[in-house]
Amino acid sequence: MKFRLLSKRTACLAGAAALVLTAAAACSSNSSSSPGSTSSTSSTASPSQSSITATGAAVAGGSITVLEGKGFAGDWPLGLDPATNTTGSADQDYYNAVLGDLFELGPGGKQIDDLATGYTFSNGNKTITINLRPGVEFSDGTPLTASVVAWNWTRDLESSCTCAPEWTIARVNPKVTTSAPAAGVIKVLGTDTIQVNLAAPDGAFINQMYDTIPNWIISEAAFNKMGEKAFAQMPVGAGPFIMVSDSYSNQIVVKKNPDYWDKPLPYLDGITFKSVSGDEAAYEAMLAGEGQVYIDMSTPQLLTESAQHFNVLNQLGTSPYDLQLNTAVAPFNNPKAREAIYAMTNFAPILQHIFDNEYPVAEGFTGPGGICYEQYVPGYQGYNPTLAKQLVAASGLDKTTIQFGTISSSPVAAETVQALSQEWAAFGVKTSQHVYPLNGLIQAFLANGGKSWQAMIQTAGAYDPSSGVGVGFRFNSMSPFSGVHDPKLDSILASAVASSDLSTRCADYNEAAKYIADNYYGPFYFSFAPANVAVKGVAGPGLTSPLPAVAVAPAVLWEDVYDNASS
Amino acid sequence: MALAQQVQLQRDPGARSDVVRRVTGSPALQLVGRRLLTAIPVLLGVTFLTFVVMNLIPGNPARLILGINATPGQIAQVDAKLGLNHPFWDRYWLWLDGLLHGNLGIAYSNQQSVNTDLAQHLPVTCWLLLYTLVVSLGLGVIVAVLAARKPNGIADRLSLAVSMLGLSIAPYVLALVLIYIFAVKVQWFPAISNSLGSSPLQAIRALTLPAASIGFPLFAVYSRLLRADIVEQMQREDYIVTAKAKGVAPWRVLILHATRNSMFTLITLVALNLGTLIGAVAIIEPIFSLPGIGAELINAIQINDLPLVEGIVVVFALVTVAGNLLADLLYAVLDPRIRYGRSAS
Repeated sequence: MKFRLLSKRTACLAGAAALVLTAAAACSSNSSSSPGSTSSTSSTASPSQSSITATGAAVAGGSITVLEGKGFAGDWPLGLDPATNTTGSADQDYYNAVLGDLFELGPGGKQIDDLATGYTFSNGNKTITINLRPGVEFSDGTPLTASVVAWNWTRDLESSCTCAPEWTIARVNPKVTTSAPAAGVIKVLGTDTIQVNLAAPDGAFINQMYDTIPNWIISEAAFNKMGEKAFAQMPVGAGPFIMVSDSYSNQIVVKKNPDYWDKPLPYLDGITFKSVSGDEAAYEAMLAGEGQVYIDMSTPQLLTESAQHFNVLNQLGTSPYDLQLNTAVAPFNNPKAREAIYAMTNFAPILQHIFDNEYPVAEGFTGPGGICYEQYVPGYQGYNPTLAKQLVAASGLDKTTIQFGTISSSPVAAETVQALSQEWAAFGVKTSQHVYPLNGLIQAFLANGGKSWQAMIQTAGAYDPSSGVGVGFRFNSMSPFSGVHDPKLDSILASAVASSDLSTRCADYNEAAKYIADNYYGPFYFSFAPANVAVKGVAGPGLTSPLPAVAVAPAVLWEDVYDNASS
Repeated sequence: MALAQQVQLQRDPGARSDVVRRVTGSPALQLVGRRLLTAIPVLLGVTFLTFVVMNLIPGNPARLILGINATPGQIAQVDAKLGLNHPFWDRYWLWLDGLLHGNLGIAYSNQQSVNTDLAQHLPVTCWLLLYTLVVSLGLGVIVAVLAARKPNGIADRLSLAVSMLGLSIAPYVLALVLIYIFAVKVQWFPAISNSLGSSPLQAIRALTLPAASIGFPLFAVYSRLLRADIVEQMQREDYIVTAKAKGVAPWRVLILHATRNSMFTLITLVALNLGTLIGAVAIIEPIFSLPGIGAELINAIQINDLPLVEGIVVVFALVTVAGNLLADLLYAVLDPRIRYGRSAS
């Protein structure tokens, strides 16, 4: 039976909406701040949440089926233990549903307190103190305390997983990246207060937590009781839903957590996540009524088709597509070869004919949905066929075949690879195209010490460029997914992270974008985010109202999703 | 064996050796024995080639499991645990040894026993293959007989048109068309089935569209070739003329004489097509989100999960070998000359 309700948070958000954008203060929880430090405010209203309460449309009850595409979110072959899942962020939907988050990224980039209630920066942005929500329990009945969070973070930092947090910390053995954090790095200051002491300033620390494993806290007691293998299949957290069943890379069933801290949320009684082969299969399944939501649709033709039947939410991009060039190996260890790529790429017709001008052109790593957005970069080398011919001949690019790869789960990326290959063929440049699933792509980057790949179409950017699959992920020397190894660029990016002043950070990012363009490290093409598709009546943040994307796609706030289609 | 016979055997050693001689001298059993012996090098060859190919693919499984930040010590530990620190031949031998003991190893991707993985996914594929074969063969034979009854008649022309459609459409295209018609429009069957459900009816609903996608092209091949063979038998063979001259009813001549003889062609074709059928399963299962070993094989190849790939390949190879053995035995059932060791020629 369905009934109308207002959760504490929704009621709070409604009030905030009525007070016309004074929500942050109105709903603020217990953030503390100290002189000279930056501190968080708290929950803010999302448009959808406000409209939910304004229209009274949100109803509790019902279950939905959410479809997730194979090759990205639809695969979790290693299970769902955050510390060991190498495809971690791709599986954000399951984590957010079952584990919840310390902090959520809300509409317009507003921070929403979830299992944490606030934070403070101090010690020149080297110390971050986080307050946890008092009284929260995991679904196994054990309390979520600072010591449990410390256990989680220590385990995360000791993990060898690609998903491990990249905190700059002192370690017991400084030479080993998986060595335990040194004493004092993670301090438990009380039952509900925890502190992280970094070795270098990081003003973007909280932004970097969104959709990464330190944000997902598991029950230590359940982990110890179940063992690592069993836990990975049926993780226990303090999120709005509880695991019911998990068939790896096939289907996950979750049900409402009756002891969720923000009662009476979640609205839904249950969610079934089903893995489907791709956009086409998902679209047909939704037409057949077998799915109510599809996450991350990106096939341009299907987006148009879907809009005739469903709500299609085209999110503001935060992760522009770029062509990663591996500067460690030929031919792209030659700057002329890299410049040739810039000069022979004319992206305007591709954008027009393939993507129907759906996405804005980009010359840097920031997108319209994120912070520090700058569409154009001064001095950016654009299309110049005459120059391209000279550079191709001078660099010998026409005498080699470029190994050109991308991820299989994105039709947009695959079509971009094909289109670019055709454009370059006109200049006598040959390509060998490879399309990998996420795990295969990771292997391709890692093979032979990172020297097997030459060029990859990838996204490089995030809501905050320092977080997720951001600029550092693709351009920092230390990242295994970077083709650039330039200490000067590293220092610019480090400087951009150090400050918590947005204007300072944005100035650094502008400099980094120009530096990348000046050195031809990788051309950018367009700002993209996949769309989420939902049947009429199913609504919520990330489905019917936009959220910024962190790891390519936005993280839906499942506790706020409701289904009034059948009410 | 009857009790009296058993008593006789115990009393009379001569009689026992006669039975043994008859059993071991049975052409059918000799045929099975020969085929099983020839299957051993085939299976060895298939597994060895798969092992070689998967070893040539770059990427360290230990790093796949542990992640990029794994220390050399951690990688060495996992390598030792998985036996990856041994030379190529030792690893292959270890895997073969495990196979002979019924242990297919541990999948790299989920650290689960491959046996368990197969036990979870194999039933779905088996049911799908069985459903596909039964329906495509059943319909193929019926349509072929109807078409051959009157060559160039309405039934023949209609079956030709349908078969041409089946022969010219790829299974994955057909799958999308079937989903659109039967799942989206009339909603008789599901578009995706992440499980077979809890009842036979649910399983049939889940498997019908995938089976039709794979089976329709097969049906087209079977019906056309069988029809052509039956027509040839009916028009050229003396035994048909004799049967007709003896006044045997036309339907009996068609079904009991011509069609029975034409079954050789069909059986050969089905046996040869088993490999194609398995390939189609690997394509069709992911489209319908069916959790079978076809979809599992694609996933395993993509992430270089050697034990899982090998396990699935062994199963597919066994199915193909067993299918061909069954075809040989069916020849013997249909033609007594083969059963008694005499060549049909």
